Amino acid sequence: MSNTSLTSGSGGFELSERVRTVMLYVAMYGTALAFIVPYLYMISNAFKTNDEMFANSPNWIPNPVSFEWLNVMLSNSPIVRWTINTLIIAVATTVIILVVDSMIAFSLTHLQWPGRRIVLAIILASFMVPVYVNMVPLYVWVSDLGLINSYLGVILPLTAGPLGVFLFYQFFRDMPEELFEAARLDGFSSLQIYLRIVLPLMRSAVGALALYTFVWSWNRFLWPLLVMQDQIMYTVPVGIVILQPTNTYQPQIQMMGSIFAALPLFILLVILQDKLVNAVAMQAGKA
Amino acid sequence: MANGDSLTLSERIESVGESVTGLDREAIDGIGFAVPYLALFVTFLLYPLVRGFWISLHEWNPFNPAQSEFVLFQNYVRMFNDPLFWTALQNTVWFVVLTVPTLVILGLLLALGVNRSLKGRRFLRIIFFSPYLLTVSVSSLVWMEMFSPPNSIINYYLGFVLSNPPQWLNSGLLAMPAIAITSVWWTVGFNFIILLAARQNIPETLYEAARLDGANSWNAFKDVTIPQMRQSLMFVVVVQFIASFQIFGQVYIMTDGGPGQATETIIFYLYRMAFQSQELGYAAALGYFLFFVLVGVSLINFYFLGGDNE
Repeated sequence: MSNTSLTSGSGGFELSERVRTVMLYVAMYGTALAFIVPYLYMISNAFKTNDEMFANSPNWIPNPVSFEWLNVMLSNSPIVRWTINTLIIAVATTVIILVVDSMIAFSLTHLQWPGRRIVLAIILASFMVPVYVNMVPLYVWVSDLGLINSYLGVILPLTAGPLGVFLFYQFFRDMPEELFEAARLDGFSSLQIYLRIVLPLMRSAVGALALYTFVWSWNRFLWPLLVMQDQIMYTVPVGIVILQPTNTYQPQIQMMGSIFAALPLFILLVILQDKLVNAVAMQAGKA
Repeated sequence: MANGDSLTLSERIESVGESVTGLDREAIDGIGFAVPYLALFVTFLLYPLVRGFWISLHEWNPFNPAQSEFVLFQNYVRMFNDPLFWTALQNTVWFVVLTVPTLVILGLLLALGVNRSLKGRRFLRIIFFSPYLLTVSVSSLVWMEMFSPPNSIINYYLGFVLSNPPQWLNSGLLAMPAIAITSVWWTVGFNFIILLAARQNIPETLYEAARLDGANSWNAFKDVTIPQMRQSLMFVVVVQFIASFQIFGQVYIMTDGGPGQATETIIFYLYRMAFQSQELGYAAALGYFLFFVLVGVSLINFYFLGGDNE
């Protein structure tokens, strides 16, 4: 730990390097421990028997480890169906966003057509429309269209946001124009350029954005809550809130449901940490 | 384009089309590639935005919209005379005050810490970032359990130092701070990642130069780190402000606006008006009010950032 700080050259006002390093470790790992506590609480309570759940002093490691609530949840609630619903919505939303957002971003950056600057300005300005503000008219509109209780009713409004367009726009803008000129001389059509040059070159950006969009759509709460009015159509985030198959207070089931909702995303995080982190970091380009 | 002799049939058709529409091939392609997104954008973002304003001018009848009564700005007038609206606004501002500075400062401290050369940086990064990947119902349910009797783990440990640990979600005073704590844990990872990236983009030579000038670490922080990260810090402040102003899920799940009206926030009130009281016209007006507040914040931000770029 030789170069932890910038202070080696300065005088006696500063704490010694060793003390500072120890303090840094204590602060960072102490905070990390505090961040982990809710996870431990969730996991440990999901596997507790009633006796242990309501005991006077909390046990962090359940003894015995009970799978009772997993069984209750799977057999008494439509959580499997909710998972399928959520997967359909998240996958469809992600695919639509990637396709249409990358298409328009390619068009705005590398094709000349009248009005493109105005279109870009309007899309960027729509960043200022907060999602919730549109809640009432969007609900009225989706009802008019007969899309209440349908997958499309959830999916389509989620695909209208400008974030993906903006991110793709930034990536594509930096691609050299000569690349496209050369391809045109070779007789490539715009569609071929998009499919054979833009998408392959931008594979890693597309991948990061796909991952982020999937997580984002999986986690939507308010909009599916409004559109999906039959319990069988709920998504996992909406469903776990009402997860009380019996009339007594059983927090273990909700903790089990929370694990269910969080697990797929955590698996993605462990496998693809860098991609997810990049997808978040690149949003600051908006500033 | 192609030479006169060697025009293929399709090129000939194309050139005819060009003279008819005044658009060349590239412009047609350009519009073609833009249309799918624009269709979604216009249908599900712009149109509702305009229609929302129209709805806000009505005593909207959700069961028979044709019978809605046009009331001009009455819904907006009602808003300013509605004590519950002012309570909700006050609570929302209180939540913003509790969360925005905490989220930005904690995010910055974690970013600067992880940027140091310490062991397990990837582990720390994943830990601080991971709650951001959860859905609001997971983070809210888990913290609700941690705060609430009979299993309050927080009060179990507080019991060792306090004889009478607080009621958190059942306390008018502490319910909002409890929701704020939940929100900080849940979303600080976003700021942490943005600010970590911004810190890593500062060239180390700036710090070397500062050191040669005899700067200590406080000077380096004040004169190099903060000015270099100014854009990202502004970005994070604005994004957080907008996000916190729209708090909904945590209230919906953890307190249902209570106890009393202690955690009634603007969006939660809007939701209740629209979907419990069926007062869609009034709810749309609330939405528009919020829209103007947030546009104002964004414009102020653009103004400041614009001044910075000179």
